[in-house]
Formats: sequence, structure tokens, C-alpha cells
Amino acid sequence: MSSLYERIGGQPAVDKAVEVFYRKVLGDERINDFFDGVDMEQQINKQKGFLTMVFGGPNEYTGKDMREGHKHLVERGLNDSHVDAVIEQLGATLQELGVSPEDIQEVADIANSVRNDVLNR
Amino acid sequence: MSYIIFDDERVELNEGQTVLSALLDRGHKIPNSCRAGICQTCLMQATEGDVPETAQAGLKDTLKSQGYFLACCCEPQTPLHIVASQAEHLRCSADVIEHKQVSDDILRLRLKPQEAFDYRSGQYITAWKDNTQGRNYSLASVAELDEHLELHIRRIPDGVVSNWLHDEITTGDTLQIQTAMGHCFYMPDLPEQDILLAGTGTGLAPLLGIARDALRQGHSGNIHLVHGARHVDDLYMHQALIDMASQYKQFHYYANVLQADDVQAPVSTIPIDQQLINISVDLADCKIYLCGDADIVNGLKRKLFLAGASISNIYCDPFVSAAND
Repeated sequence: MSSLYERIGGQPAVDKAVEVFYRKVLGDERINDFFDGVDMEQQINKQKGFLTMVFGGPNEYTGKDMREGHKHLVERGLNDSHVDAVIEQLGATLQELGVSPEDIQEVADIANSVRNDVLNR
Repeated sequence: MSYIIFDDERVELNEGQTVLSALLDRGHKIPNSCRAGICQTCLMQATEGDVPETAQAGLKDTLKSQGYFLACCCEPQTPLHIVASQAEHLRCSADVIEHKQVSDDILRLRLKPQEAFDYRSGQYITAWKDNTQGRNYSLASVAELDEHLELHIRRIPDGVVSNWLHDEITTGDTLQIQTAMGHCFYMPDLPEQDILLAGTGTGLAPLLGIARDALRQGHSGNIHLVHGARHVDDLYMHQALIDMASQYKQFHYYANVLQADDVQAPVSTIPIDQQLINISVDLADCKIYLCGDADIVNGLKRKLFLAGASISNIYCDPFVSAAND
């Protein structure tokens, strides 16, 4: 039985998904304010780390990093509705890349598992 | 088992050990973060030896060609000589052979280095006023075509170095300059790919260098150069670029000014971002170079990415003024 990460396509799938995902996020009026002024290449690299994690791949993401990384955004009003929007765009990205609905649900579950860390609660 | 030479020190690598882990074990403070080849914090440069492909995955091709790699993913099979990416760069003397005002506030400086000076058109060098005050300027010249280095220097109000270069330096003087740096330059790997070059003010200097270098190397895809300026008078290379466009059918020049009456092609008052979108290229498959004012460069980068350009194909050189210049 192959792992979620293998089924999605591993590292090449992350590379393929990251720009599609980031473009969707930057185009989403509900959340794109949070990305104003960030370095786009650094952000792409961070999002590769994020996608690797939610695809169930090898990663060194920790709850502490998640908390630290989003603390300033929580202070600016980051809340559940924004996390929902990101997970929605993640699903749309994977759908576009031909990932099965079951696997998309599994990715969303992993993303949801870090929600409390992201929102610092 | 292999080893690396880090600056002058020989460091042995255990089987399966990365360059980063070996250097950290030896007590070197190497910046690093994810240790998974993602964050690129541990970027280093190899000066000799074979860098494994896996250590360059995800890096820009211009960085790869200069031997840059990620230390956390690098398990070299053969000895590798490396330097930290912020390694020190040597200075050399260069004689001023031309000092010419090309617009109200832009100086064209041509320098002849006193020793061999390697660079790629579009990279930048540092010009030093004294031991501590230096500023970066991009290279418009092409090593294979020009004997001199060419810099375009805008006078910055209260700028320590730019005013000195404008007012006190003259032909025949000698300057201290420093090794060329930066990843904004032409790569000849895809000669049929279209290229978009866009910049404001003296952001034209690196773009001109990149365009001339591409044409010299026989680039056959279209090369679109967009120069943004405030007024027509600020288009300081206007005639030369019009001449280039008539000489090379694949080279196209657009001048976009903020204010003007009665302009005619190639000058227009279309905003530079709109101009770029209007040009007929496949954004998903073209190389894009953006140089000049940092806010404009970053804004264009975002806009072009959202319009379908790939971040890995966008090369940026945002000009950032020094705090006191």
C-alpha cells in the first residue's frame, strides 16, 4: 500500500503544485493581504515545506515553528476563516493536478491538524 | 569517504554525511534552517570539484552555473573546494576612461580594470569611495565585446558615493572596484525562448548588458526590452535602443513614460506593468528580468507571477538605496 506522499507524486508533485497553489492564494481577496510585502521566493520555499508536510512527506516542521511563523499574522487578525480559505485553495490546487478526492481529504485532514498551532491557541 | 576544502581547511566527511553536518561538527557557524533542501539558508559556493545534482535541486540556473549548492543536501563523492556564499571578494583598481553625463541626473562611467576582471553582463560591482563607503552598480557592458566596464550612475540626493562619482571623479582617475556579483544575467541554454526585460531609470544598465550578451550569443527568440522613465528626457539610451531594434529583428524596444504629450512609438504613456502584459509572449515559458526601483520590481514580479510566469524564470535586481546614500 503506497503512502499518501507517493500517491500524490512526491517531490516533483510538490514542485508542480507550489506555484499553482501560491498563485491561487495570492489571487484570493480573502487572504492575500497577509502576503503583502513578503519575499516571493522565500514564500515559495516555505510553501514547499508546507506542501511536503500536508502531502505526508518527509519534513521537519514543528508546532513551535508553526506558532512562531504565524504569530505576527494572528496579531493582524488571522483566524479560522483564513485557514479555511487556504485549505480550500489547497484542495482546488490538488483537484487541478488530478489528485483523487479521497487523497485531497487526507491532505486537508493533515492541514487541519496544525490549525491550532497556526492560530496560536 | 570524501573530504572538502572549506576556505583553507580540510574537513573529512563520513559516509553519508552532508557538507553542512560536517562543517557544523567542526564548530563552524553555517547559517541553516530546514536541513531538507527547501529554505536555501545554507547556500554555499563550490570553486572546484563536482557538485552532486541533488545539492542544486530547486536553485536558479544562474546560481547553479556559478557552483552554488545547498550544503544540507550535499554529499560529494569527490573532493570539493567550497566557500561560504558571503565569502570576501577582492578589490581591484580600474581607470576611468570615460565620464559622460547622459541625462540630467545620469552619468555613464566607463572603466578599464588594471587586471583581469571576470563578470557576466547584468551582474553588479561595488565602486568604493574609500575603505568603508561603496555602492553597487550594474554592468551594461559585455566582456566579450567591450574592453571597458560600463556603469550608469544616477545622482541620488545627498548620496555620498553617487555625488562623488558625478562631481569629483573625472577621466583619468583610478577607482577601487570589487568582484561582480548577482544572478541577473543571460543563460544561453534556451536560445529560442522569449525574453522580457523591464526596468526603470538606471535599471536599464543591466538589461542592456543582458540584451547585448544574448544577441552576441545568437539568441533567436524575441527579446522585449521595456524602459520605464518619468519623462522623455530621462530615456537616456533612446536612440541607441532604437538602432538596436532596427539592427536585430528579434529585439524590440518599448519606452514607457509617466508624462508626455504627443508621443509616438516606441514611446507611450501606458503603465509599465500593463505594457508587459500587452506584449505577446507565453509568460509560462519565457525568462523575465526585472531591474531598478525595488518597489516597482517587486510589484511587477507579483503581477507577472499572477499572470502565469514561473517564479523560477523571474530574475530580479531590485535597487536598494543605502541608508545614507
